[in-house]
Amino acid sequence: MEENKILNPSSNSDPTINRKHAAMLERLSNLHNQRIESSSSANPNSDPSFESVSSFVSHFSSTKQAIENQFQECPRNPYSSDQMLVKSKLNSISNAIEGLEKLLAESSYFLPAYEVRSAQKTISELKQQLNSINSEIVPKKKFSFKNKPTKKNQTSVLEESKVEGFESFPETPLETSSSSNVFDSPGFRNHEGGLLVKDLNDSINGDFTLSDLTNCKIFLKGRLRALFVHRLSGCHVSSGPITGSVLIEEVENCIFMLPSHQIRIHNAKVTDFYLRVKSRPIIEDSSGVRFAPYCKSYEGLDEELHECGLGEETGNWANVDDFKWLRAVQSPNWSIIPEEERVSTIGEVPVQSH
Amino acid sequence: MGLLSIIRKVKRKEKEMRILMVGLDNSGKTTIVMRINGEDTSSISPTLGFNIKTIEYDRYVLNIWDVGGQKTIRSYWRNYFEQTDGLVWVVDSSDFRRLDDCRLELHNLLKEERLSGASLLILANKQDIHGALELKDIAKVLNLDAMDESRHWKIVGCSAYTGEGLLEGFDWLVQDIASRIYVLDC
Repeated sequence: MEENKILNPSSNSDPTINRKHAAMLERLSNLHNQRIESSSSANPNSDPSFESVSSFVSHFSSTKQAIENQFQECPRNPYSSDQMLVKSKLNSISNAIEGLEKLLAESSYFLPAYEVRSAQKTISELKQQLNSINSEIVPKKKFSFKNKPTKKNQTSVLEESKVEGFESFPETPLETSSSSNVFDSPGFRNHEGGLLVKDLNDSINGDFTLSDLTNCKIFLKGRLRALFVHRLSGCHVSSGPITGSVLIEEVENCIFMLPSHQIRIHNAKVTDFYLRVKSRPIIEDSSGVRFAPYCKSYEGLDEELHECGLGEETGNWANVDDFKWLRAVQSPNWSIIPEEERVSTIGEVPVQSH
Repeated sequence: MGLLSIIRKVKRKEKEMRILMVGLDNSGKTTIVMRINGEDTSSISPTLGFNIKTIEYDRYVLNIWDVGGQKTIRSYWRNYFEQTDGLVWVVDSSDFRRLDDCRLELHNLLKEERLSGASLLILANKQDIHGALELKDIAKVLNLDAMDESRHWKIVGCSAYTGEGLLEGFDWLVQDIASRIYVLDC
């Protein structure tokens, strides 16, 4: 530690007492000289570790001045030939600002609140200045005039405005759209009509996706960690226990029969849910959705439910939170299915899939 | 030991850090906080509003603000930005379809000036799920390489279900905040 060295520099000196003594005398005289020197100058100590507010202020302002000078020296020409030089210059400024921040952090415990605040303000101003110069001088892409058809030019303008919006985060729409194709998880997608059956017991700890299905009957047997449902219409969905969460988005005229730890329902219209759930189900941007308790749909389910901690009815199927209706009175967006309208099951799992 | 270091030690004992947990709904924010705190995670409901947890962690006191991620309440995130030392962005690594949303929301957050000084920990959660996206792919999709140079950040894969990776992430976050705000010496 810095202070320890100052307090105990003798630990480095020669072991013999005489030399120690001599060294100490020398040190004392040095110290004395230093004191005389510093008392004559305006700032008594330039070392911040001496806990003097005035020394901090002067040290801080001189560093700030130095950084500002560096800003001045920075060439404002974005087409300057030596990009590397400019970059290293900006880097050194950034380091200097970080140094200031550190100095402030180290000194903050003895500074009055006002000094801390104003120093923080100065630092953030310097950072802003650095950022604006950064974006000015180092363009995202090298600009050049090319002979291209006007159509291309228009798209490039669009791209640029996007980059401005996200500053540090230029968008990569192409990459992502391709990525979502590459990283597809197991699931049923793009079907119309028919019966879709899947036994998931061979893929324990997996997730499953149902998306873009119309008028289908879907049976998922076995355990799941997560279920994603997206854009279903006129479908019946029945699944085994889900030990993680279910996320349902954009469904219409469907019936779901799910045992799960967590259930989130977004953008659902006129859909019935038969749930057993460990926590409170939630709906958001939904209307005409109804809830009822879960009823079993296949042999051997009881055991699976128990193993997944879903063996007992919690009554949570009726504790629905509507994020679009944060009031004490009942939300108009959901209701409980009257007992006489409830289905006992949405059909047994067929022994053979077609 | 000098007097100064004794004073510093005493000061440091009462040091608090304010940590904001955000991310899309269903990413596992509350489960992560409960898991770190050693609580039961089997019956956590989607967060309607926010939770505050005060946890003693490695000589520091963490005030963790776990704010709900449903679309309707994302606009309230900004009410929690003030004086945030550390930002934890939680990603559901198995939810490929909404990674675009995830990136957009993260961009919006990082534009916020009040969060410009906060250390950023990105937790790629649910790594235990078979088929979850790998760390490097998430970093790519979220375009983390394009992050501001001055930002202190790290991405860590984790599972709130098994607890894996959580301590690694929070160790980094706490150390990073400490080295920025408090002098790190012994």
